[in-house]
Amino acid sequence: MAFDMKMALVRPALKYALERNGHGAALGFTLDKLERGETHLTFPYREDLVGNPITGVVHGGTIVSLLDTACGCAAMTIQKSPSVTPTMDLRLDYMRPAQPFKPIYVEAKVYRQSSNVIFCRGLAWQDDKDSPIAHCVANFMKVDSKSIQFRSIALKKLRRLMPWRQTPITDSESR
Amino acid sequence: MNKQNSEQLLLDWRDNVEAARLERHPQALLDMIPYAAFIGAQAKVEDQRLLYWLDKRASNIGNPSLPAIHGGVIGGFLELAAAIEIIYNLDIADVPKVVDFSLDYLRPGRYKTIYASCTVMRQGKKLANVSATAWQDDEQTPIATARCHFLI
Repeated sequence: MAFDMKMALVRPALKYALERNGHGAALGFTLDKLERGETHLTFPYREDLVGNPITGVVHGGTIVSLLDTACGCAAMTIQKSPSVTPTMDLRLDYMRPAQPFKPIYVEAKVYRQSSNVIFCRGLAWQDDKDSPIAHCVANFMKVDSKSIQFRSIALKKLRRLMPWRQTPITDSESR
Repeated sequence: MNKQNSEQLLLDWRDNVEAARLERHPQALLDMIPYAAFIGAQAKVEDQRLLYWLDKRASNIGNPSLPAIHGGVIGGFLELAAAIEIIYNLDIADVPKVVDFSLDYLRPGRYKTIYASCTVMRQGKKLANVSATAWQDDEQTPIATARCHFLI
């Protein structure tokens, strides 16, 4: 596969945005793989996220969060210029109960993108990928607005850091 | 030892559920689930139904530039609300197992309190179907709706 310059630039920013901010930081997962339209992440078991106090199994809401993050991330990177993608819907099937004290692995892939919608599939498993604990299908809107593209957000931040510079930084300059 | 332990936990759970129903205090059920404390979900009885709410907190933000609540938090919150609705209203012994969960996002979740209420659509011998709605300013403009199947 040819080296993807845009992806190489976006990857650290996206990794930072998802792992160190808000709910991602609170959950404490790590993004292992971040390619165009494909995301892998690992989530270690945590006792404060238990949903069933009798068995000690992680709450389903945690799995919703993990799969939503992974699918959203795959949808963001599939676009020509990566930008924020609002979720339209998410359907989650629990195949088997998760086992306590074991990490959860999540994989998400984009399997179709049309002019307005991005279709994603996600899988969560623990021991064996062939016996997953959950499978999800998520659809995302493609929003074609300059204001939410990563490049524009980065430029806005950069301008704020350099107030002495009067002329706006143009797109061609930033490349 | 381990089996005995889990049996004891199950008995404690049933006692607590019974007590919560008698006192009409659904918050006691949420206090038993660590995930509820993690996202900050709360519940009370209002107008003969259960009302759930999620106060804003920094660890629930998904998109810091808007800021908006993480979609997974809204999903987890609705799933939790649906489970509590089942535990509180239906006479079941164990913790219900969720089979599938389908969520539609209607509007972005702004950085303020989210409210939710649930309806048990059908209760069979094995399965229960619950629908949950989340809103922020006005109940007529929901931000998300969810459907859930539980094995009871």
